[in-house]
Amino acid sequence: MADTSRTVLMMGNPNVGKSALFNRLTGGDAVVSNYPGTTVDYTKGVLIENGQEYEVIDAPGTYSLEARDAAEDVAVRLISENPGATVLVVLDATRVERGLYLALEVIERGCPVIIALNMIDAARERQITVDTRVLQRILGVPVVPTSAVSGEGARDLAGMLRKAQKVDIETVRARADGQFDTPEQSGGCTGCGGC
Amino acid sequence: MKRLSELEYGESGVVREIRASQHELNCLGIRMKKQVKMITRQPIKGPVVVVVDDMEVAMGLDTAEGVVIETGEHEGS
Repeated sequence: MADTSRTVLMMGNPNVGKSALFNRLTGGDAVVSNYPGTTVDYTKGVLIENGQEYEVIDAPGTYSLEARDAAEDVAVRLISENPGATVLVVLDATRVERGLYLALEVIERGCPVIIALNMIDAARERQITVDTRVLQRILGVPVVPTSAVSGEGARDLAGMLRKAQKVDIETVRARADGQFDTPEQSGGCTGCGGC
Repeated sequence: MKRLSELEYGESGVVREIRASQHELNCLGIRMKKQVKMITRQPIKGPVVVVVDDMEVAMGLDTAEGVVIETGEHEGS
């Protein structure tokens, strides 16, 4: 199997803007629509960030890693076929909780993970604020707010790809229960390893 | 307490027990203590459509029958 360490696999619930974000990152032309289930197969593209070439794969939306239909099956297969890949989990900032189920499943699988909090503009419009710092601290992976529509955060996200983290799910559980093994450091460090 | 499939149109309640596939419902956002509101319930095998966290979730009638809901105003009546 080819080296997949420079592969970025985009996963997320249906209709969170994976394909729109994929197009932003790669300049690709994946079909984008405003209803779920648009992507039923995957699209590949290339992103060059800081001299580093990444192969980006836009997977169909899935609610979990236990496939329930053919499109979900493609997404689940992609994650098994690219074991070393960085998984970019795309969450809808207006419905963060819903996407966390899949995010936690991906973390549990032991993949290096980075989270894009997409549709942050829509969240702002609806006066939904997400404390990315706390989310980052609990999950232990970088969380980057993005808006694929306006392009906001896309550059930050590309720059943060190399900082994706593998996290032990039990430590996430402990932190979610308020047990932090290291005291919170000053200077804005969230312990995500992003530095 | 009543089954999710027994909610009236527009009626809301809180999830108290899930006897159907936990995994399938959990990943769709239906979990214990979640508020759900009935949108539509089609006869025979469904679908049953409810709103959870401002999102519509559709499921088969048999799945909806496995979810126990506590409805506030009808409690004890």
